[in-house]
Amino acid sequence: MSTLLGVDVGGTFTDFLLWQDGAFRIHKRPSTPDDPGRAVIEGIEALKVTPGLVVHGTTVATNAILQRRGARTALITTAGFRDLLTIGRQVRPAIYDLEPETPAPLVAPDLRFECSARIRPDGSIEAALAPGEAARLLAAAEAAGAEAVAVSLLFAYANPEVEQGFARAAAEGGHDVFLSLSSEVSPEYREVERTATTALNSYVGPVMSRYLARLGEGLRERGVRTLHVVQSDGGAADVERASRRPVTTLLSGPSAGVLGAFEVARAAGFEQIVTFDMGGTSTDVALCDGHVPTRADVVVGDFPARTPVVDVHTVGAGGGSIARIDMGGALRVGPESAGADPGPACYGAGEAFTVTDAQALLGRLGAAGLLGGSMALDVGRARTAAAPLREGFRDEVSAAEAVVAVTTANMERALRVVSVQRGHDPREFTLVPFGGAGPLHACALADALEMPRILVPAMPGVLAALGAVQADLTATRTRSVLLPLDLLDASVLSEVGRALRGVAGEASAALDDPAAEVTHALDLRYAGQSYELTVEVTSPSDLALAAEAFHALHEQRFAHSDRQAPIEVVNVRAVARVRSHNPLPVPPPGAGARPSAQTEVVVNGRSLSAAVYAREGFRPGDRVPGPAIVTQLDTTTLVEPGWVATCDPGGNLVLERSR
Amino acid sequence: MTSVDLSASDLAIADASLSSVAEEMGEALGRTAFSPNIKERRDHSCGVFDAAGQMVAQAAHIPVHLGAMPAAVRQVMELAPFHPGDVLVLNDPFRGGTHLPDLTTVAPVFAPGAAEGEPIAFVATRAHHADVGGMAPGSMPVATELLQEGLVIPPIRLVETGRLNEAAFALIVRNSRAPEERRGDLRAQLAATALGARRVEALAERFGLEGLRARFAALLDHGERVIRAVLAEVPDGRYEFEDRLEIGAGGADGVIRLALTVAGEEVHFDFTGTVPETDAASLNAVAAVTRSACYYTVRCLAGPDAPANEGCYRPVRFTLPDRSLVAAGPPRAVSAGNVETSQRVTDVALGAWALALPGRIPAASQGTMNNITIGGYDSARGRPYAYYETIAGGAGGGPLRAGRSGVHTHMTNTMNTPVEALPLAYPFTVEAYALLPHTGGAGRHAGGDGLVREYLFHDRATVTLVTERRELRPWGVAGGAPGSVGRNTLIRADGSRHDVGARAQLQVEPGDRVRVETPGGGGWGALEA
Repeated sequence: MSTLLGVDVGGTFTDFLLWQDGAFRIHKRPSTPDDPGRAVIEGIEALKVTPGLVVHGTTVATNAILQRRGARTALITTAGFRDLLTIGRQVRPAIYDLEPETPAPLVAPDLRFECSARIRPDGSIEAALAPGEAARLLAAAEAAGAEAVAVSLLFAYANPEVEQGFARAAAEGGHDVFLSLSSEVSPEYREVERTATTALNSYVGPVMSRYLARLGEGLRERGVRTLHVVQSDGGAADVERASRRPVTTLLSGPSAGVLGAFEVARAAGFEQIVTFDMGGTSTDVALCDGHVPTRADVVVGDFPARTPVVDVHTVGAGGGSIARIDMGGALRVGPESAGADPGPACYGAGEAFTVTDAQALLGRLGAAGLLGGSMALDVGRARTAAAPLREGFRDEVSAAEAVVAVTTANMERALRVVSVQRGHDPREFTLVPFGGAGPLHACALADALEMPRILVPAMPGVLAALGAVQADLTATRTRSVLLPLDLLDASVLSEVGRALRGVAGEASAALDDPAAEVTHALDLRYAGQSYELTVEVTSPSDLALAAEAFHALHEQRFAHSDRQAPIEVVNVRAVARVRSHNPLPVPPPGAGARPSAQTEVVVNGRSLSAAVYAREGFRPGDRVPGPAIVTQLDTTTLVEPGWVATCDPGGNLVLERSR
Repeated sequence: MTSVDLSASDLAIADASLSSVAEEMGEALGRTAFSPNIKERRDHSCGVFDAAGQMVAQAAHIPVHLGAMPAAVRQVMELAPFHPGDVLVLNDPFRGGTHLPDLTTVAPVFAPGAAEGEPIAFVATRAHHADVGGMAPGSMPVATELLQEGLVIPPIRLVETGRLNEAAFALIVRNSRAPEERRGDLRAQLAATALGARRVEALAERFGLEGLRARFAALLDHGERVIRAVLAEVPDGRYEFEDRLEIGAGGADGVIRLALTVAGEEVHFDFTGTVPETDAASLNAVAAVTRSACYYTVRCLAGPDAPANEGCYRPVRFTLPDRSLVAAGPPRAVSAGNVETSQRVTDVALGAWALALPGRIPAASQGTMNNITIGGYDSARGRPYAYYETIAGGAGGGPLRAGRSGVHTHMTNTMNTPVEALPLAYPFTVEAYALLPHTGGAGRHAGGDGLVREYLFHDRATVTLVTERRELRPWGVAGGAPGSVGRNTLIRADGSRHDVGARAQLQVEPGDRVRVETPGGGGWGALEA
């Protein structure tokens, strides 16, 4: 691979990581939200290169949902189920809110259509489509203004035949709509989730296809041959697949970030990590136990989707979260956020006291300002914003310490969800903080969870672009089978094996590359349960170890298992993968870490003098004891007293407790 | 200001730690249980309690469990002394329970440094089991006496110092129509309880024993301060409201009357004038259920600052006439008190709050949970079964916006079971599940629409329906129209249709259908001419 470019389009910045002739370059420019592809093209022009391959993390699909700018979408269901998406699981999200806002439905009432076909639970067909019915319904949807159509019939996961009738009718009738079938997009049982996934795919389909077509054309004009898109599970897909299955890209950006963090940590010798990406309004955490974990579902905005995603746990709190004293005198941090606009008070525009303001008051952002000194900090303004909190505290500084302590507790809770709650001991994991605010909170968090080590990646601001370059090309296929895992019943085993080979064949075909490796997995549960755990199997014909692996995983996750209880295979899964084998960038060593200034920081109630270091100065082997502050363009690291930071050969800062 | 010296940040941190224990218990229970009602519909709650049995944190999916869990813990405390590894169980509505299907497990938590045999805290789980015996599958019959409703379990030690009492366990399990399911669900509950106890032990280690006690006390005080601040904002006065359950002609024997008195930072719920307990359809509510419904309305007024702890309810007093519909005693049947009467108590309480706070309170929501239980012998699978679910309807319109359609309101928030999951386990299917347009009351902000859920039976079965608002419509507010009533229809295989009324026990044959149409919410504000 001669020239290779990873691009991550975020809300504020578009980040580029370019590999050319064995060297890398980084580029960062403002995003262009009206047409996100423009920043990509402009970046390539600014870098003056013609990459052979561009791998792209995108938020186009997610933003279309969050901003409700997707296509006008029609839904065709089994008769009697047209309102499935409005009813959903029939619950309300906030039980003590007497007047919760009702999200506008994804599919408007006049775009809901019912068909007469009925599939039985076993997949047999009770009533077929009437002659011409599919064409008639598609025409009616188009007449009502639909740009996209989703077809989701009850029990279609067990037999795709009826739904395929709509695909044939669309092809024959020359209908110009984006069509998604539930039996293709999400062939798993549970109608609400399957229907929502299919409808979302159609809702974002036209937006995503247009975007990728335009970007692809712009790239071709500049000589770029291949464009790949990072999917939510951390694997990449080509443009054709990403356009047809945009629902697989909903977590494109965050998954690339976790993948980048994991690859950096792995290269540094740590495969058991917890990533901690704390931004302005939200924080993502993920636990990687030797690999990047995935799960089978995600919620974006108000809508659930069944699609493999990197298992990221998100909390709605970050540096911009606002602190206040509640009616009962307790300090609350969030969920309200100052966001990017107006932002924290110390950035000069906001009025409310945020977590970032608290850090500024405690001196932890350094005195020189942010973004390499180009953005001054208004600490006086932060102090003024703290006034409403004065009542409960001695002074502004102790209020600021309290805000940071509560934030740490909220973050600790998020980390516990992915570790302790899932049967992992955080003491065996390395914390990998990134995002603007992550490395400021890392020492306190590691102390709270007794984590032995912190690794601050060398280039925390471009981890998602770095992850995009690292992403393997993958295709995942799933199907509900709902069979007992009876190791003594050869016919059942061969049926499970056949189903596994079936999805494996589809996944390989999607990649169409002889170098593709295929892995197989089963979603298992004790017969009668409703939640599944995913267990990898070595091959479709060797299921003997699957049961044992399931019991062990159940024991780990839930602290009990029942080796006598029958196990059920709910879904079969296969992932085809072509490995990327792309190199990891190592920044050039600096001239040696030397303090640029001394500054006052407050830690644990004490005011200390801390040395301030510029991150670029670090050389492998440099050691800096806490208290110290390490500043760089897009983040600030606080090395607390009792910790020592060492620069490793990859340019990462490894923080450990000093003996 | 604070009666316990704990900083504003320590309070928030303690709340985060304890709430996360309760949530983790709930997560573990939901993910490992076997019956759809617990695992799919999440009809369960988990809580952490201090040494005196006061609830300090709760993960509640179901508001009706709110005020009722502490009663269970306090009943269990009478069985002291405790030992590490003990887990107790109960469902007796007159000794800490609410209705028989709700099985509650309670475990004492011990820590080094505490006095021998003295728990530092308790943890508890409550889950609605699909069948605990009695005269009808699903244990939600149309009954006149508690023992008809199922097996009554007084507080007993089910696990003693870590050893399961196999005999008691077998007895409980055998008294269900679906013993295997009970075994799985009860084990999941025991495991979640043990998990909670371990997590609270770890907190005692982290904060220290005295530190943990101080945090418990501070959290309860914080809850009390929040509610006092909320009540101080409500104009003092006496606000009277009444509504009816459909007992007797026009609800004549189902009157629930409330005088709500707000004085300074305190509130008094006085139900004097409510009808006596009844022989009709298990609609008697035990006092804990009535309290839960009233607490729920207080929580709603308080907004997001109110923590999920019992301190919130210190400024709340009750007068519940003994042996009335809202404070029944043995041997009355109570299964529907929890699910139906609780909804009407909520309506009455919100109606009174609407007088105190005009322009703040929405119209009545569907006012029922539309309970359906289906059971019998599944001849294709060769086993008995029992299934229970509740069905959403319309929410009332309010001062801010129209009511939501097809959603669970007030005292319940259970998910539906996927239509595609049902035939995997039971001999019936759902043939229609859709909104019923224009069933919400008209108004400036219309009530939400009810919905229809139609069942088709493939084998003989007993179906029990316990519903409300089939006759008396959910009221509107400020000139809004009332919502439509619901309707329950039996459609025989031959096509004949029968309106079976609000409460019915039916024998169905293969090919028969039951169609449940749920009520719409009331409208808010007059329609402009």
